[in-house]
Amino acid sequence: MTNFAQLFFDAASLGGLYAMAALGIALIFGVMNLVNFAHGEYIAFCVFALIVPSTDAVAVMFLGRAPAVLLVPLILVIGGMIAVASEYAVFRHLRNADPVAMMISSFALGFVIRNVLLATYGGRPKAISLWPELNTPVQIAGASVPLLQVIVILTTLLVVAALAFLLKKTRLGLEMRAAAENFTMARLLGVRANVVITGAFALSGALAAAVALIMATQTGVADVRMGGQIMLVAFIATVIGGLGSLPGAVAAGFLIGGVSVLLQAFLPLEARPFRDAFLYTLVIACLLLRPQGLFVPASAKPRV
Amino acid sequence: MSKLGIFDLSVRYGKVPAINDLSLQVEEGERVFISGPNGAGKSSLLNAISGAVPTSHGRIELDGDMLTGRAPEAIARLGLSMVPEGREIFGSLTVEENLRVGTGLRRDAEAVDSDMEDVFEAFPILRERRSAAAGALSGGQQQMLAIGRALMTNPKLMMVDEPSLGLAPKIVDQVYETLCQLQEERSLTLIIVEQSSLRAARVGGRMILMRGGSVVGEGNAADMVDRDALAQAYFGNPKCKEVNS
Ligand SMILES: Nc1ncnc2c1ncn2[C@@H]1O[C@H](COP(=O)(O)OP(=O)(O)OP(=O)(O)O)[C@@H](O)[C@H]1O
Ligand SMILES: [Mg+2]
Repeated sequence: MTNFAQLFFDAASLGGLYAMAALGIALIFGVMNLVNFAHGEYIAFCVFALIVPSTDAVAVMFLGRAPAVLLVPLILVIGGMIAVASEYAVFRHLRNADPVAMMISSFALGFVIRNVLLATYGGRPKAISLWPELNTPVQIAGASVPLLQVIVILTTLLVVAALAFLLKKTRLGLEMRAAAENFTMARLLGVRANVVITGAFALSGALAAAVALIMATQTGVADVRMGGQIMLVAFIATVIGGLGSLPGAVAAGFLIGGVSVLLQAFLPLEARPFRDAFLYTLVIACLLLRPQGLFVPASAKPRV
Repeated sequence: MSKLGIFDLSVRYGKVPAINDLSLQVEEGERVFISGPNGAGKSSLLNAISGAVPTSHGRIELDGDMLTGRAPEAIARLGLSMVPEGREIFGSLTVEENLRVGTGLRRDAEAVDSDMEDVFEAFPILRERRSAAAGALSGGQQQMLAIGRALMTNPKLMMVDEPSLGLAPKIVDQVYETLCQLQEERSLTLIIVEQSSLRAARVGGRMILMRGGSVVGEGNAADMVDRDALAQAYFGNPKCKEVNS
C-alpha cells in the first residue's frame, strides 16, 4: 500500500513535469506547425537566470535569492520573454518557410542559446540550492513524499486548468484555437497572426520556466544539458499524444512519466540501467500501432 | 470612386499564371456575379482581393485604400469579408465560437450580440445548434455558418465563393434569399462566384464572365443568360454542377 502511494506520487510528479514540457512544444506546433527544438534551451536559460553569471565552479544565487512570490512570476516572465524574443528574431522571418526549415532553425537557435550559456557560465554542472526545504518529506497516505512532488502535481493541475480556461474562455484562446485549425481563414476574419503567435510563444516560454523552477529545485543542479534531456522526452510525448493536440500532450506526458517510474520499480535489477531502452521500445511500438498519436481520433486534424 | 477597384491585376502560383492583367470596378451597393469555367481564376481573384494569396502585379483598392501588400487581417479590418470556396469553417469550434472568431476586429462591440441575433434569425438552424461542434453540421448548414461568420465581421464588402456548390436547389434558394435580404438591410456590396448564369439571372445583378484569368464578357445577368448558349459552346454546360447536386 505504502509502496503503491509512493509509486503514484513519483509517477504523477514526473509525468506532470513531462506534461508541462510537452504542452510548451504542442502549443507552438498547434499554431505554426513548428517543432521548436530550442524549447529545452529555454528551460536551461531559465535555470541559469537563477545564478550570477560567472564561469566559477561554485554557483552564487542571483535571482534565486528573491522570495518565491517574486521569483516565480519573474522567472515565468523571463521564460516568456526569451521565447517571444526568439520568435521575433528567428521564426517570424520564416513564417512562410517549409516546416523542415523552421525545425532546423530551431535546432540552430538552440545551439546558439546553449553556447551563450556555456560561454557565460562554463560547461561544468553547478550545484545550486533553490528552496531546499521543499525536498523534506511529508507523510501522505502512508507514503513519505517530498513536499516538492506534491507541489509539482498541484502545479501541473493548475497549469492545465489555467490553460484550458484561457483557450476555452478568452478571446486570445478562441483566436488561438481558430488559428491552429486554419490559420489563413482565421486571418481572413481579422485574427492578427502576430498576436496569436506571440501569445503562443509567451505561454510556451512561461511553461518552460515552470519546468526550469521544478527541475532546479528537484535536482539541485544547473547544467547546460538539462534542457536537452527533458526536451527529448517532451518531444516524444507530443508525438505520442498526437502533434498539436494539447490534451494528448498532457496525457502522453503523464503516461511516459508513469511508465518510466513503473519500469524503474519493477524491472529486474540487472535490467534497470537499460530502463530508457525499454521505454523507447514502447514508444516505437506506440508509433507503429498509432502513428497519428494515441489520443487523437484517426480522422481528426491537429487541434489546440 | 468605386467601392472596389482592380487595376492590371496578375496572380501567379509559382510559374502558373492564374490571373492576367485583370481590371474591374465594383460600385458601392452593387451585386456582382463572377462566372466562368473551372480554372478560370475566379477563386484566385477573390483570394487576391482578400489577401489570402499574394499578387504578382497590379493593384487593388478598397474605398481608395491600397489593399495590395497588406496582410489578410489588415484587409479584413477595412471592411472586407469572404466566404471562401469550400467554406473553411473551424470544425473543432462550436457554431457560436465560429461566429465569434471574426468579431475581434470590431470597434462596435455592443452590436455583436444583435448581429448574432440577426444571423440566427436568418439561419434558425444555427441557433438550434449553437453549442454543437461546427464539424458536425451538414454541408448546407456549414455554408450558412460560413456566411453568418463572414457577416459577423460587419463587412462593407462581402465576397462569396460558390455558395451553391454541393447544395440542394432549395437550400440555394434560401441562401440567396438571405444574402439579398442582408445586402439590402446592411447596404452591403456583394461579389458572388456563381457557375449558374440562370441562377444569377434570377437573383439579378451584374455578371462578369471570366476565362483563362481574364474577363471575357460582362453585362446584366439577365441579358447574359441568352448568351449562355454561346458560352456553353466554349465552356461546356455551366449548369452541370447544379444539376448534379
Ligand atoms: N494553390 C494553387 N497552386 C497552384 N496552382 C493553383 C492553385 N490554386 C489555383 N491554381 C491554378 O490557378 C488557376 C485558377 O484557379 P482558380 O481556383 O482560381 O479557378 P476557379 O475559377 O476558381 O475554378 P473552379 O471553378 O474550379 O473553382 C488554375 O489553373 C489552377 O490550376
Ligand atoms: Mg474556385
